[in-house]
Amino acid sequence: MMSWRTLVSRLAPLLACLGLLGIWQIGALILDTDSFPTAIDALRAVPSILTDKESLINILASLRRMAIGFGVGVGLSIPLGLMMGRSRAVASFFNPLLMITYPVPKAALMPIIMLWLGVGDLAKTLVIFLGVSLPVVFHSFQGARAVEEKMLWSGAAMGLSAGQRMLRIVLPSALPEILIGCRTGLVLALITMITSEMIARQSGAGNILFNALDMGQYDTVFAMIIIVGAMGIGLDAAFEQLRKRLVRWSEPRFDLPLSFS
Amino acid sequence: MIEISGVSQVFQTSGRQSHLALSNISLTIQDGAFVSILGPSGCGKSTLLYIVGGFVAPSQGTTRVKGKAITGPGPDRGPVFQEFALFPWKSVLGNVMYGPRQQGVSSAEAEAQSRQLIEMVGLKGFEHFYPKELSGGMKQRVALARTLAYHPAVLLMDEPFGALDAHTRTRLQNDLLNIWERDRKTVLFVTHSVEEAVFLSDKVVVMTRSPGRIKRIIDIDLPRPRRRAELLLDPHYQKYVVDIEGMIDDTSEDELHP
Repeated sequence: MMSWRTLVSRLAPLLACLGLLGIWQIGALILDTDSFPTAIDALRAVPSILTDKESLINILASLRRMAIGFGVGVGLSIPLGLMMGRSRAVASFFNPLLMITYPVPKAALMPIIMLWLGVGDLAKTLVIFLGVSLPVVFHSFQGARAVEEKMLWSGAAMGLSAGQRMLRIVLPSALPEILIGCRTGLVLALITMITSEMIARQSGAGNILFNALDMGQYDTVFAMIIIVGAMGIGLDAAFEQLRKRLVRWSEPRFDLPLSFS
Repeated sequence: MIEISGVSQVFQTSGRQSHLALSNISLTIQDGAFVSILGPSGCGKSTLLYIVGGFVAPSQGTTRVKGKAITGPGPDRGPVFQEFALFPWKSVLGNVMYGPRQQGVSSAEAEAQSRQLIEMVGLKGFEHFYPKELSGGMKQRVALARTLAYHPAVLLMDEPFGALDAHTRTRLQNDLLNIWERDRKTVLFVTHSVEEAVFLSDKVVVMTRSPGRIKRIIDIDLPRPRRRAELLLDPHYQKYVVDIEGMIDDTSEDELHP
């Protein structure tokens, strides 16, 4: 029998969402303007977007770019970060480059990238890639730097070569930290995905959103925001499940308190 | 046989200063001997062990194991560290199997051997636990089994029981001796506990504080196998402990009145 307390804490996220929608609904009814549809109108527009073939193709195109940008970003950033963490020379070579690019909003590079690569998939995927890379490099670097020297020595005594130590000691040992970077990277991928589509309007979820805005279809605008938000929450929760499974062995200090899963 | 000849170690400290950690150490360790290196903290005793392990290259001098000059770490010299340094992503069994698997032993054989070792260090039933689920003493048992698993000729133990409580420490000392009695590997054991050194060793090397020099080498002539309860009452044991403690005190005196 579930106690009253656990029931409340289980239902708390749901109650919070309902509360937010309630405030939205009431606020929209009071303000009563075209540019602020009620929560019910916005929610009603969600299924019509998700059943429209054109919109679905757009959203899937977005997700495909995001997946490629994220995959390539993670695939290149983890080895780079790990090498930076273990080699002073590599770190001092890449550190200034990363420090310069760190504060630049990746979407601000979009105009230049569009100039070079056009407004197609390549430009947008590249921006997503850039957005994902920094947090993953940073956390991989931190993780690799924190690897216990004695652990590497133990491996060396067993006969592991420098390359094997990197792959079989530094990588798993840094994995909890790497995955924290990947989680940030995943959310950033979603954000840069939408921003890139705002700037290079051609296809994608961001494109639907801003086209609807141009045409004054405000319920579609808000419905798209709900869809993008839900995608973010869903992806983050799914990734969190995967992360927990991969680092079951790790000390609890790597558990993140903030999670929807 | 381990031959350490004329080994010195200089560390660059911050700025342009250098710190002489070890000064002209020469020491020969016979095969099958249990030798402890004893000294106050900061005397470079661990550094000496790391040099024999090949983890640190000496600034001067040479070390040889079985006549071969040491150029780096190798499976003939197995370290056991105070920090355990287990692979946290591997289970107890996975940790112990790691060395043999690396050496090309088949999975089935490595597992069979590892299970035996795990039983020998008293951890039967914990094969599938992760290191984070174990106490300090249990972790050190796993670390010992993991090192024994790849059959090093020399065990290099770096204050292995230093992080454990007194009770666990005594139990592990007893168990280590029992395990050692079986195949009498060469052991180089770094500690700052006089009792521990006398209880375990054939030979105790007393070092001075920085720069680390060998002050005295004392042969511990106590019968084996050693039983803790008997030994504690043995006047010979007590005399060794008192004498060596005196030497360490002298070392601190030198520090105060150079």
